[in-house]
Amino acid sequence: MNEDEKSMLEGDLQDRVITKYHSDLGITHTHIVKLPGFTTQSGYELKEIEISYQTLGKLTPNKDNVVLVCHALSGDAHLAGINTNTGRPGWWDFHVGPGKSIDTNKFYVICSNVLGGCSGTTGPASINPDTGKPYATEFPPITIRDMVKTQALLLNHLGIKKIFAVVGGSMGGMQGLVWTVDYPEMVHSCIPIATCIAHTAMQIAFNEIGRQAIMTDPNWCGGYYYDKNCRPEHGLAVARMIGHVTYLSEYAMHKKFGRNLQRPPQPEDLFPEFFSVESYLQHQGESFVKRFDPNSYLYITKALDRFELFENRPAKEVFKNVKARFLVISFESDWLYPPSQSRELVKHLKRCNISTTYINLDTPYGHDSFLIKNPEFSRALSNFLNAEYKYITNNTNNNH
Amino acid sequence: MRKNLYDTVIEWIPEGSRVLDLGTGDGEFLERLIVLRKAKGEGVEINPDLVTKCIERGLVVHQGDILDGLDQYGNGAFNYILLLGTMQELIDPQRVINEAFRVGKYVIVSYSNFAHLRARLQMMFIGKAPVTSSLPCPWYKTPNLHFCSILDFMDFCDDIGAKIIKSAYFKKSGQVKFLPNIFAQYAVSMIEKA
Repeated sequence: MNEDEKSMLEGDLQDRVITKYHSDLGITHTHIVKLPGFTTQSGYELKEIEISYQTLGKLTPNKDNVVLVCHALSGDAHLAGINTNTGRPGWWDFHVGPGKSIDTNKFYVICSNVLGGCSGTTGPASINPDTGKPYATEFPPITIRDMVKTQALLLNHLGIKKIFAVVGGSMGGMQGLVWTVDYPEMVHSCIPIATCIAHTAMQIAFNEIGRQAIMTDPNWCGGYYYDKNCRPEHGLAVARMIGHVTYLSEYAMHKKFGRNLQRPPQPEDLFPEFFSVESYLQHQGESFVKRFDPNSYLYITKALDRFELFENRPAKEVFKNVKARFLVISFESDWLYPPSQSRELVKHLKRCNISTTYINLDTPYGHDSFLIKNPEFSRALSNFLNAEYKYITNNTNNNH
Repeated sequence: MRKNLYDTVIEWIPEGSRVLDLGTGDGEFLERLIVLRKAKGEGVEINPDLVTKCIERGLVVHQGDILDGLDQYGNGAFNYILLLGTMQELIDPQRVINEAFRVGKYVIVSYSNFAHLRARLQMMFIGKAPVTSSLPCPWYKTPNLHFCSILDFMDFCDDIGAKIIKSAYFKKSGQVKFLPNIFAQYAVSMIEKA
């Protein structure tokens, strides 16, 4: 078995069974800051918000080396290094660390949990200051732009005015795009990975199945389950199972599981075959339930579905002030966010005269290709960041 | 030989031009062009490993085939479109050149001359498809789908409504001025829409 195949079978770092893992960063921590809130895009006033975030590396004296990483649907602020609470590495430890693609010896890397999330940033499970109880479904519908606004508040709090690169896959890529449009003066470069400018009906459909699984779980109770001793865990697990299938590819699943049986038939089994892939999905569902709030899943998937970068305006107008230079990455085997969606984005950018490099990598592991060990992906990412950093440091020197 | 050809292309391009290099490979030439001519250059390349090398050089490059690459840009986005060494590998060169005229004012095309003396002699005396230093692969391995001579290229330009502005011809030892259709192994021409 070659290295690439091994990496694929190892999977991503979010829910895989970790027995032994070494992170070059060692133990890292997240912090929580409480800041005055803002009015969401839908017009709801959030009085205050808490933001969970992590920073890695050192900020240069002229603060020109900030890399902001935006996480996807199921990610969190714990980007890399070992989390002492869970004993697990951060979700992007393969790609962030000393000497890695996003080199913490060189860059000051920031990652925060999204608004509506459940890992420290204000979301449906947080206490509503008006009622003293969890928001539950009184939490306002949120958008990708609200998530970005939350990050902007955090950066302002940290005294950061320039982002060297904003990087993110999937939902993280959408946040990156919004950053370049809503804060054009702040962003030097943007790397949207396996993302799109708006969900298609199919992408909305998969999310809706997930939401229905949660909302039809009798334990959901209209979202007010926080004071009960049961949660819609079964619904969330099913939602995760569906999601997980869409993140993989036929090749990756077949390579990993084939038609293998998890165990020999037992007398009490309804059906004699218990396939490995069934067991895997059940494990994915169960481990996700432990770390994710079902209401957050509803709110975040809806934010994904509502996302529309252009919001009925012409691309030329939306991109008018964009200063960022782009590296757009897609994966040939990604059928959830197919390369055609990245190409659509690239064409809009290029036709608006925005400097855009596009690479479609032939990695066969589906949408998850950016979450696993992936040397081709690492190379593209680090080459771009290094070349761009050289570009800005040369330009600053020339100006002196 | 190729170096002479590439140097000629660099000479032809005025400083500060906007240039799109189709089939840019690892980006070595495009980088040179940008540095020497202070050009605003971008590339199109289909091979992801080569695209990664271009990224390392800090180039702006689009991964895709040539028509897909051209399709990314609006009308008149460039002054010069470079099609160096790949025209004979294209399924439909006419379509590509027409699309290139949409995106850029001038197209600079290079190709191997199939009517070079050595090729003629091999055809005449050995009776086989020629294998020479400028056409190094046997017929079943060559990436070239279309074989043409310098005269053929002129006919082609007439046919598609393109005007040849200037041309240069090359063999191993340098430029060819005398009877290029016999003595040149490579040709490069700058064309525009007639």
